[in-house]
Amino acid sequence: MNFRADEEGIRNGKDSRPRSQCFGHRHERRIPVRPTNVLVMTLALLLIIPSLGLAAASKATITLWYPGGDITAGVNDFVDPNLWAEFEAKNNVKVEAVALDYDTMKQKMFAAAAAKNIGDILFVDDTFVAAFVKEGLLDPMEDSKAKAWLAAVMPEIKLRSEYGKGKMWGYPQYGGDTYALTWNKEHFKEAGLDPDKPPKTWAEFREYAKKLTKRDAQGVISRVGYAFRHVGAASGIVHKHFWALEGAGARLVVPPDALRGGKSAFNNEGGKAALQLILDMIDVDKSTSLSFPDPRAAFLKGIASMQYSELVSIKARQPKEAPDLNWGFGPPPVRKPGDVPVTLFGGFIFVVPKDAQHKALAWKALEWLNSPEKDYELCKKNEATPRYRANWEKEPFKSTPYFQTLKALYPGAVVFPINLGSDGVVEAVGAAIQKAWHHEASVEAALAEAERLANKAIAEAAK
Amino acid sequence: MTRARRRSLRQVLTRLSSRHILHAYFFIAPVILLFGIFRVVPSIQTLLYSFYKVELLRNRFTFIGLENFSDLFADEIFRGAALNTLKYVLTIVPISAFLGLVLAVMFNTKFHLKEFFKAVYFSPMVTSTVAAAMVWWWMYNPQFGIFNVLLKLVGLPSQPWLMSSRMALPSIIIFSIWKNLGYNMIIYLAGLQAIPPQFYEAATIDGAGGLSRFRHITIPLLAPTTTFILIYNSISAFQVFDQVFVLTSGGPANSTNVVVLDLYRQAFQRFNFGYAAAEAMVLFLFIMGVTILQYVYSKRFEVAY
Repeated sequence: MNFRADEEGIRNGKDSRPRSQCFGHRHERRIPVRPTNVLVMTLALLLIIPSLGLAAASKATITLWYPGGDITAGVNDFVDPNLWAEFEAKNNVKVEAVALDYDTMKQKMFAAAAAKNIGDILFVDDTFVAAFVKEGLLDPMEDSKAKAWLAAVMPEIKLRSEYGKGKMWGYPQYGGDTYALTWNKEHFKEAGLDPDKPPKTWAEFREYAKKLTKRDAQGVISRVGYAFRHVGAASGIVHKHFWALEGAGARLVVPPDALRGGKSAFNNEGGKAALQLILDMIDVDKSTSLSFPDPRAAFLKGIASMQYSELVSIKARQPKEAPDLNWGFGPPPVRKPGDVPVTLFGGFIFVVPKDAQHKALAWKALEWLNSPEKDYELCKKNEATPRYRANWEKEPFKSTPYFQTLKALYPGAVVFPINLGSDGVVEAVGAAIQKAWHHEASVEAALAEAERLANKAIAEAAK
Repeated sequence: MTRARRRSLRQVLTRLSSRHILHAYFFIAPVILLFGIFRVVPSIQTLLYSFYKVELLRNRFTFIGLENFSDLFADEIFRGAALNTLKYVLTIVPISAFLGLVLAVMFNTKFHLKEFFKAVYFSPMVTSTVAAAMVWWWMYNPQFGIFNVLLKLVGLPSQPWLMSSRMALPSIIIFSIWKNLGYNMIIYLAGLQAIPPQFYEAATIDGAGGLSRFRHITIPLLAPTTTFILIYNSISAFQVFDQVFVLTSGGPANSTNVVVLDLYRQAFQRFNFGYAAAEAMVLFLFIMGVTILQYVYSKRFEVAY
């Protein structure tokens, strides 16, 4: 067909073909069906259709933010893909665990909350709760759920869970972080001490530390009888000396369950005695030293015979870092015979931010994870201490010596104060401890300054 | 707009265009915009926050006037941090400038493997401060660190370094001098190489010795370089944070607490943004004052031969 000639004929009006043909020719549109166009359209359809399908059947994703690494000592294994499998299947959700760096997670969470882009569940240090509550970051637990929980758990767990008048902000982790005195049994045997009998009183503690200390040929301490924390974050320093402070009658804040107001009560005879204890071990007994880093690391490396810190941390790290270490654990020593050994009972807590995208689902997930059945299952699997009273009646918790020894620590368990100014209190006390032990100030002067700063922090937080 | 005005505007635009001035503004516009968004706006915001009690999550801003500033000057922790910062600046600035000059003078001569050693001295400058500080933390370790191993080898007693409140700040200063030395050396080297050799030749002919030439030619002609180095190092030293955070976190016993670290704690751990903003403003004013003083004072030492 000669299109050009026909076109000319049409323009000149001389085309003799029937009109329909003319129209057909003139208005004939041929959409060129090139192979490229076909390919593009096919790809587009392949992309669009599945996403429509996905959108129709998409699951909600709950994000759980937790501190990665050794800090939670493996008790809560968020990297285990089966941890949430049952909950995910029943509720058609996905739980995504996101690891954060512990040292910076508090400010990251705050920044995320300010940007209204925070995770649905946060697994945080207990000590973060006061600051988060003060800033209005957290969603409180429903009163009825809180009441049921508080009625079913061990008294020590109730102590950790409640933030005044039955109010709860989240679920404390299973396998609470109990602090205990740990000792190297081989060192004890070497020094002629009974490896199964730790020191019971402060006087015994000083004697044991003297006997356990070793020196090199130049007279420099190569192994300390007791390693203590004196550098780093103030909270770490205070936690690791809590047994002596509270054991001697010093109190960080009174009343301990006051969210606002109150005052510090550590600048007293007990507080001074607690700081003087370590100072005397450094200067008089020379059974310890400022030259030793993190007490846990020193203990695991075998250059410290005793130390006091989180038990779960030693338990998790020992198989990897010191597989041959023969160690024991028990309550810390008391100031005088007849006193009850005081131990810090803290750890991590599951909370839900006020601005979580899937708040209701997040609480549902936490209810499921912290149910009596899951508590028993996970504690049994991870060799952690259960929270429900009923679970302590079941094996292995009922009769295994390890769990029963841990349970024996509970009567002396003390939790950190929930006061909104407790961050400032801890910083003040931590600095006082450091100043006294570093000979920057006398014990009296250091505590007096700390008392002033602590009361200021409590008053400011109460505004 | 009248015709005449339109015509004149068109003329202005055409002139600008023909001189490529518009093009120049167009090219620098992204930088100006980013600078404005990420530097100017936050600075103005900081200034405003310093007069408020800021509760970000509750979206509540309560005007409190100068209360943040008065609390700041009454805060003994802040005063301690300010004193530590001042000690740090007054030590590190002259020492690293002096050592930089010494190295530059040495490298201004010819010797074997000069370029290799220049790279060695400059390499700390291009290393991440945090990474370097982590390594130095281990080097300072009282039990396993290399410094104490070397001390023991020569029969000297081990030192607690970062574990002692007396030695911690000097230990950080040593690290900082090591880190900044290369930069000062390179700047001084450039300054030395800009001095015309005729001055030295003339001085030699006139019988001036090495020390005399250094005193009367090198030092005066390096005055602008020295001014730059002192100002630059001072500004940077006042803002020290990374190495302190990594090496000691301000301890032990706040002996290495510095202003920027205190500000960081107030803002990101205690969430006291207004108070932290006040600290930032005080630091800014102080640095600006010191910089102006240094600049004005240094003018009298500049010479032209």
